[in-house]
Amino acid sequence: MARRRLLPACVCLVFALLAPALARADGDAARLFAQGTKALHDGRAADAIGAFEALADRGVVDPVASYDRGLAYAMRVRIGAEVPGDLGRAAQGFAEARDLSRDPGLVDDASRALALVRSEVARRRTRAGEPVEVDPGRSLARTVAGLLGEDTWSVLAAVSSALLALGLFVRWLSGAARVRVGGAIAAGVTAPVLAVATTMTLAARHDRLTLREAIVVSADARPSDERGITVPGATPLPEAARVEVLDTHDAQSRVRFGKIAAWVPSADLRPLARAD
Amino acid sequence: MRGLVVAFVSVLLLAPRAASAQTVPQLTVQVDQDTVGVGDVVTLEMTAQSGDAMPSDPRPGATPGFVVRGQNASPTQTHIAINGVRIDRFGLTVDWALQAQRVGTFAVGPASVVVGGVRYAARAPLTLHVVPAGQAPHRAPPQAQPQQGFDPFGAFSPFDAWKGLIQGFQGQQQDDQQPPAPSITTDPKLALAAPRGAYYFLHATVDKTSVVVGEQVTFSVYEYIDAGAMSIQVDDEDVHDATAADFVKHPLLRDDQDALLSGYAQIAGRTWIVKLVRRWALFPLRAGDLTIGPMSVSLLRPRTQMGAKRATETLRVHVTEPPVAGRPPGYALGDVGHFALTAQVSPNAVDQGGAVGVHVELSGTGNVPSAITTPAREGVEWLAPEVHDNLGAIGHDTYGGKRTFDYVVRLERAGDVDLGELAVPFWDPEQKRYDVARATLGAVHVAPSGAAPTASADPVEETLPGLPPPRDALEGMRAPRAHPDDSLVFWLLGVGAWPMAFGLAVGGRAAGRRVAGAWRSRKTSPAAELRERVAAAEAACQGNDPRAADAAVMRALEAASVAHAGVSVRGAIGDEVVDRLAGAGVARDAAMRLAELLRECEAARFAPDAADVVAARDRWIRAQGVLRQLAKGG
Repeated sequence: MARRRLLPACVCLVFALLAPALARADGDAARLFAQGTKALHDGRAADAIGAFEALADRGVVDPVASYDRGLAYAMRVRIGAEVPGDLGRAAQGFAEARDLSRDPGLVDDASRALALVRSEVARRRTRAGEPVEVDPGRSLARTVAGLLGEDTWSVLAAVSSALLALGLFVRWLSGAARVRVGGAIAAGVTAPVLAVATTMTLAARHDRLTLREAIVVSADARPSDERGITVPGATPLPEAARVEVLDTHDAQSRVRFGKIAAWVPSADLRPLARAD
Repeated sequence: MRGLVVAFVSVLLLAPRAASAQTVPQLTVQVDQDTVGVGDVVTLEMTAQSGDAMPSDPRPGATPGFVVRGQNASPTQTHIAINGVRIDRFGLTVDWALQAQRVGTFAVGPASVVVGGVRYAARAPLTLHVVPAGQAPHRAPPQAQPQQGFDPFGAFSPFDAWKGLIQGFQGQQQDDQQPPAPSITTDPKLALAAPRGAYYFLHATVDKTSVVVGEQVTFSVYEYIDAGAMSIQVDDEDVHDATAADFVKHPLLRDDQDALLSGYAQIAGRTWIVKLVRRWALFPLRAGDLTIGPMSVSLLRPRTQMGAKRATETLRVHVTEPPVAGRPPGYALGDVGHFALTAQVSPNAVDQGGAVGVHVELSGTGNVPSAITTPAREGVEWLAPEVHDNLGAIGHDTYGGKRTFDYVVRLERAGDVDLGELAVPFWDPEQKRYDVARATLGAVHVAPSGAAPTASADPVEETLPGLPPPRDALEGMRAPRAHPDDSLVFWLLGVGAWPMAFGLAVGGRAAGRRVAGAWRSRKTSPAAELRERVAAAEAACQGNDPRAADAAVMRALEAASVAHAGVSVRGAIGDEVVDRLAGAGVARDAAMRLAELLRECEAARFAPDAADVVAARDRWIRAQGVLRQLAKGG
């Protein structure tokens, strides 16, 4: 009996102890966001960057915070106070906002801003005589897997599985020839659908669990080997490019950018937060 | 050696020709002991006397094998008028404390001094012998100078121009007052559990083993020299410094500085001379367990240890990041220490398109930031600063100093332009909290100019035009949710169950058919029939119908012949039963017994007399024996 009373009391005590700290953390984040947006409206790019970065340091992941952070960096570029890496960091904020947001308006704004930043990077690389491809796009398999959500693929797999079984049963058990033919057709159609849906579900799940992506935040991210020796003749990865992070070792990360797979300094990358 | 040792007396000077007009000063250079042990301090004293000007700028000259630990200068002036003749004497007595660093014989000096703008030096250097610690002759007590308390002329008297130059006489008077040899005081803090090598070894320490990124770790390397060992020599060409790739390194000792005596240590019953050979301020660059590699040297002497390596320990420092809670905006990882910021803007008024200078001074201890984030605003362009460093050791083990940034700031907009504020957030490791060094820049009055940007013939291309507006409310993050495909149930029931059900149905049907067929075939087999016949015969013999019992026994025997021999004896007549069974491999004896039983049963069944149930049961017992024999194969 005493134990039964003790447990809820302990839970209440822990909650009472943690509640002020949690509230303080929330208040701190809100204050920083307010500081950042005010600085953004006032044209104080550096202050806005400081506030939004402090917000990110506290682990706040929010599409609007990412978007405004990207705007702060872009503003610093626009007013002529650019610090190397600002374009990449702006692109990272916009890409993260686009990935995370459920608000179509924000997704549109972030996509537009990202295109502007990448255009600026491409313009600079053109002047420098470097390849201008900033976004090589995803692989075909990843593109197909991304056509539908992971949950949609999984529901499709379950439904096609049921239909396949139904068609097979009908073909097997029915005595009427027409019905047997109908069952065979249903099974013939749903079998490949089941195969594709299952494959895509597994691929989407694999990406969700293992895929790590980042944005290049340096104009001088030169591909190198594992020892950090620059690959001869290799041009730097474009700033603001989205890369897949394959491995991380010490201060080096192995990334894939289009057909290129190479090591670059981890400091030249900024990871993208994921929705889940 | 007793008393004060006059090692060298020189009044012969190297007077330049240009100085021939003035009186040559008298120089006396002496040491209190010409043979000392490593770590001992010898006092080099120079007395300069001149009748023309006060000697100045004394220098001890070269001090190989010794480190100058201190200097003490005592000027004197004497003015005497005798019979109308004035005599002026200027004297300067300088003591240098020289600490012996290594064993050997060294030429120290020549000491020199400036008189009347001309530097005069002693003719030749002094020769000093340094022996291993503890082997030097007992040091004489400091020379007492009782006269100084009573002699109004101090160390130099005009009536005794040679006083102080022939001091050995006074030393002779104190022969019998020699004190006991000085004892060495060891420092327990320098002691180790055991020596890390014979005669000589290295030992490294850090002042902290757990720090945050950018916090100073003071790394020290000590050499331990066996005080009782002779002629220890390290190969100067085979010295490898410690490696600290994950740290920014700043030496806290001068590059040309000799090893500093730290004290004496008692280790394993022996006395060791401990000297500091390296001291670095290390600033970790990243979080993790970072390694400081060993420093190593090779020994040349003693000969028994020639080529032997001595290395320090490999040290590890646990590095974390400063806490996120309370981290001020703009904090850059690695900015750790205690800093102050000042800034000056000049001029405070400028024409549109003009520039002002901003002089920023960032000072403090620790990892002084190499860059400052400027308050970027539209219409205010901060050009790259000119940076000057004045950083180095502060005290024994702290790194810091001052770094200045000189910016040129162009102002494109007219009006009172607020330049904002410079801020350098940092983590104070002593206070264990964040702090911010701030400097307010104030406003600059920018007068409108007719030649302002609108007049520019070359319009500036706008960068990133058409950026969308900022948003003022957080959207909120979706809570992590479960996906159906993360569950095994989904894959088993949702996707796999239906095809599996179909497969089970088809497979089950096929299996059922196969089982039924097997069951049927098993049910009609000779063995099954035999079991049925045996059971029937058993049942019939229990009853009271002897004819039925005989018939059942006959059927059991016939079934046994089929089941065990594979041959049917039904319908066989006479010896044909035996022949069939024998042809099928049944032993003739068994075949004959079976045939005999069949005949008896046949006869009993159709006998006209009343049948005897007891006899029928007896035949069944014998028939069971035949059945067992057939089952055994024979």
